[in-house]
Amino acid sequence: MKNIVFLMNIKLNDSAGRYTPERSLPYEYSIKSWKRWCDKNDVELFTLENLIVPMDEMAICWQRYYLFDILEANDIDYDQILMVDSDTIVHPECPNFFEMTDHKYTGVHNEGSYDWVLRSIENYSKHIFQGRELKWWNYINGGFQIVNKNHKDLFSAMISLHNNNKENFVYMQDTYHTGTDQTPINFMLQINDIETKILPYEYNMMDMPRKEILNENLTMTRVGWVYHFNCIPNNKDNQATLYWMKRTYEELYEN
Amino acid sequence: MNKKNVIWWTGIINPDHNEKYGGFEYMEYSRKSWEFWCKRNNCEFVTFTEPIEQDLKRFRVNWQKALFVFDELEKRNIEYDQICLVDSSAIVKWNTPNFFELTERKFCGLRDTDNMNWTYESIKGYQKFFDFKLDTTKYINSGFIIFNEIHKNVLESFKRLYYDNIDMFCDLQDNIVKKGTEQTPLNYWLQINSVDIKTDLPLPFKLTHLHRKDMFSYNWQLKEDNTPFFIKYGYIWFFNGIPKDQRSKIMKDTWNHIKHNYDDKYTNVHNILNEVDHKDTAKYTTSRKFKKDILDIFYNDKYKDATILELGTSQGQSTKMLSRIFKHVYTVEWDDWNIEQAKKRCTDRDNITFIKFDLYGKKWELPKADVVFIDAGHEYKHVISDINNVVDHLDNPIFIFDDYGLPPGEVRKAVDEKVTEGVLKLNKFIGELPEDLVHAGGTQFIDKEGCICNLR
Repeated sequence: MKNIVFLMNIKLNDSAGRYTPERSLPYEYSIKSWKRWCDKNDVELFTLENLIVPMDEMAICWQRYYLFDILEANDIDYDQILMVDSDTIVHPECPNFFEMTDHKYTGVHNEGSYDWVLRSIENYSKHIFQGRELKWWNYINGGFQIVNKNHKDLFSAMISLHNNNKENFVYMQDTYHTGTDQTPINFMLQINDIETKILPYEYNMMDMPRKEILNENLTMTRVGWVYHFNCIPNNKDNQATLYWMKRTYEELYEN
Repeated sequence: MNKKNVIWWTGIINPDHNEKYGGFEYMEYSRKSWEFWCKRNNCEFVTFTEPIEQDLKRFRVNWQKALFVFDELEKRNIEYDQICLVDSSAIVKWNTPNFFELTERKFCGLRDTDNMNWTYESIKGYQKFFDFKLDTTKYINSGFIIFNEIHKNVLESFKRLYYDNIDMFCDLQDNIVKKGTEQTPLNYWLQINSVDIKTDLPLPFKLTHLHRKDMFSYNWQLKEDNTPFFIKYGYIWFFNGIPKDQRSKIMKDTWNHIKHNYDDKYTNVHNILNEVDHKDTAKYTTSRKFKKDILDIFYNDKYKDATILELGTSQGQSTKMLSRIFKHVYTVEWDDWNIEQAKKRCTDRDNITFIKFDLYGKKWELPKADVVFIDAGHEYKHVISDINNVVDHLDNPIFIFDDYGLPPGEVRKAVDEKVTEGVLKLNKFIGELPEDLVHAGGTQFIDKEGCICNLR
């Protein structure tokens, strides 16, 4: 059984909204980098090109929790699966993180703006999770999650949670703008006592401008392995993302 | 031998840097907080305020704090167990748990991932000198490190390394690399000497670069609590990564906001815990950690005039501790022998009312209180009955539940049900985790020992 890298590459034509056609342009660099890494490490790459349910019924990020159904519908057997965001690029020499998971639910702590993280936790706690407290220092970023068959029930529970609280989630997303699935999956992990393994920041390097490593020297490529091009300022239509992902891909794979 | 854990606090004033730092007033706020924390946690507060080497350009304060720590402790005849070296730019929150208990007696440090460009340049700058490939995922900040006697040799050899290469280090530090003082060399030296470094203390213990982390903010969307996030969610706050000349002002503002919590009358935690028994030797009480967690939360000015209603006195171990925290304790028990034992245990206390009452056989007629400690019947129906009665008769109390994880899980079932129904809000788990709980009766818990809830 192979390990799988699962990416969503859904192109939408929502010209007036968040998902403009330009938004997905940088993702080709992500997919190409992951393809190279997968080939090198005997891992299978799976990209999801179509929505499972319409976006007005479920935000795109939430749809990744259909993962197990999707793989099974495509007759793909698997051991572990990395669900990774398509605004990431992996270094060709990145060690095989599937060997570091101890077969646990694996993620990377969300370093960055704790104003955002803590507001998100408090807001979701109040409106969805009955005021529950979260160990915020174990809070992981949703853009890099490694799972296996033991986590099927958890993902079913995520989908049920969403569908039973659809209006509430829409209200949360539209009112507070503190994320979609990321905070809920963190609550679900802790509420259900799922054993987790936290990998170092180097395996999901989010919010790189804050750490001063997204620069013309591409310092991030010298200090870590998986570059997550989020939280980039002045980023209309993902133009800055496109610039940095293209540059990074060319530096790592074409030079 | 009376070996205590030691806070080695560096507060040397370098007059040449007075302008750069806008004065050194900030040190007093750090010092007061650590003095308080040490008293409360029975640790020794040891200051390093006079340099050993007087030439502070060749022997920067940051170098001296690491080079001379063991020499100084021994010169001052201080018997130490573990040592925490901390900078004077850090304020410790009044109720910070005792982190010495989390070290596994390893060399502990906090990963430095704030400005990774700075750390990258610094590591690169010293690489040639050390001729060693550093594991950057173990790179730690030297402003807060914990070690013990087994690390004496490595710090002694670090001192020799510095003396043997002082000109080179000064040149690298001041002219070539210009990224920090002893931090990166110390990291190299620890790894070269294969020191097992523990870097996974929880983030609340290492809140560096508060501004970069956006932690001066609060939840401006819910508008329910304007406590800055770093105070609300952190334990140790490092006022670094900000313009140095603003440090004193920011630390002063912070101190003025919180200083009422650092009253000496709340430092007696160790003695309070020592005057009662705990779960490891007495099965009908809570663990020491459970009691310590309650002290950490309630033993402060905010609750000094509050009252508590304890349902289930048992033999009065918790009752006695609660009487040290709250203005008055009303404690309820139906068993005469238990009441007699509890009264004996609490003879020196004058703020406890013992009430003989059958919680499950009579109409509720008990005093009102601000906090309720539910630890009576442990069957599902009993816990539900206790919660319902408290909800009906008390005005918005705080709930403390013991034995949440007691098998087969009846307390947990009742609490969880009330949380799911939206009656209670689960705020915090307290006490031991099931795998760490030592029970005098041998019971293996299936979940956390206890929790704290509010009404929704």
